[in-house]
Amino acid sequence: MSKTKEELLEELSDAVVDMDEELAASTAKEYIDEGYDAYDGISEGLVDGMNKAGELFEEEEYFIPELLLCSDAMNSGIEVLSPHIERSRSKDEKIVVIGVVQGDTHDIGKNLVALMLEVAGYKIVDLGKDVPPQAFVDKAKELNADIIALSTLMTTTMPRMKEVIDILKKENIRENFKVIVGGGPISQKFADEIGADGYSVNATASVRLAQRIVS
Amino acid sequence: MDLISPKERLFRTLDKKETDRKPIICPGGMMNAAVVDVMTKCGHLLPKAHSDDTLMAQLSKDVSDETGFENYGLPFCMTVEAEVLGSEIDFGSLECEPKIKKEVFPHVSEVDYKDINKMLKEGRIETITNAAYKLSKNSDVPVIGSLTGPISTADSIVDPMTFLKELRKDKENANKVTDYVTDFLIEYAKQLIESGADVISIADPTATGEILGPKMFGEYAVKYLNKLIDAIHETGTRVILHICGNMKKVDNYIPLIHMDAISTDAMVNLSLLKEKYPQLTTMGNLSTYLLESGDREHVIKATERLLAKNIDIIAPACGLSTSSPIENLQAFTRRVKEK
Repeated sequence: MSKTKEELLEELSDAVVDMDEELAASTAKEYIDEGYDAYDGISEGLVDGMNKAGELFEEEEYFIPELLLCSDAMNSGIEVLSPHIERSRSKDEKIVVIGVVQGDTHDIGKNLVALMLEVAGYKIVDLGKDVPPQAFVDKAKELNADIIALSTLMTTTMPRMKEVIDILKKENIRENFKVIVGGGPISQKFADEIGADGYSVNATASVRLAQRIVS
Repeated sequence: MDLISPKERLFRTLDKKETDRKPIICPGGMMNAAVVDVMTKCGHLLPKAHSDDTLMAQLSKDVSDETGFENYGLPFCMTVEAEVLGSEIDFGSLECEPKIKKEVFPHVSEVDYKDINKMLKEGRIETITNAAYKLSKNSDVPVIGSLTGPISTADSIVDPMTFLKELRKDKENANKVTDYVTDFLIEYAKQLIESGADVISIADPTATGEILGPKMFGEYAVKYLNKLIDAIHETGTRVILHICGNMKKVDNYIPLIHMDAISTDAMVNLSLLKEKYPQLTTMGNLSTYLLESGDREHVIKATERLLAKNIDIIAPACGLSTSSPIENLQAFTRRVKEK
């Protein structure tokens, strides 16, 4: 007996929460074989699971290893479903230029933020780690980005965040972009001090922050 | 005039004995004070001093002489272990510390297990041990040899994102790799001690509650840190452990780790930690952001607040920025010594 769409959506979501890469892929295949809509499978199934994983992360039930495994499971499902979607990027899609600031190579937190923002529908341009301040500004200008997201784990590289903002000011384009900051040693107080538009304590909160500042 | 030497003071503190005042140290490794100000003043420069034992010993002595930290700390990076284990290192510049260019193995299942005794003759191991030997000739100042902890060493040879996942997904190999790097760290620590290191300091920035969560912290960090610390203790050497980040999710594990002093990041309230676990010897935790960006007055005030908290060993909270002004470091150490 074939399963209903709702049943399979729930199974997709559960496979992500349960960090089961193989199950996510096989369930996605079953879902497509039943002829259900691929886009819904991603947004109401896989992404729903990732959102639940994000909630568990905020509740400190899940930590970084778990969240990474959930994301692998989600991606294995997306790989199956996405060829079946008619792709048309909406015109008002918001662009986020993200990276770890120069001098720092710790990118786990940045990767999580990029992932959660992508899940939430943002177009992510990931500059990677150890990124010079000017490179953020250049890329944001080139793409006419909405948000510049800066990450660092180390206290020693925190000043690079302010440098990005200083360059924007110097070039008289500070108002063109929202700058958000995050990472282990960063706080709201620090964000305020350097004149950033926002700070979020973790990856899931960064989605709410992005929605708040660009809506 | 101090009645006891800095070495004696640090030893007594680590042994929970009375002293005249708090030790003020900066152990080296992740937490080192080889700031640009010191190097340009004395002329012993990084990155060259990362791989030259004479320069390294001189710079370590400069740091202590110029800043007032009462120890010689070695080395000035966290890449000695990863280099010997096979990863590619970018040695950085005067201002920028070395980092891993590329972790050598994609998965814990693909690690190539090398002969530990052979590795002890490779890379910069001898540079560090020779420098320790040179510094140990001044018997009043403790030489602190700094190690990268087992979890951070393992994730500096296996791609870190994959490593974190495989702590769950491939426990067998994740344990095997971590055990292997721990065995290597034990032998490296013994060489440091034989060469004159008085105290071993371990920093394990990946092994935090925030990254691993309590379950993985207990399963991996506590297990391998204790294996390492126990082996160092067998040589009669004391061990300082630095845990990065916020510890609230894992603070119940801290008393289970066998270190002689626990050093923490600035956001950890060390008086509360001590209240909860009076058996701990605490070390810390002046904000390194303040040391870099604050002025002397603020540094002195923050130092006074630390002293009032009854922390056992005074130290910076984390890695220092190489652009921290020498005046701030001097203000910090002087204020501790006045007490």
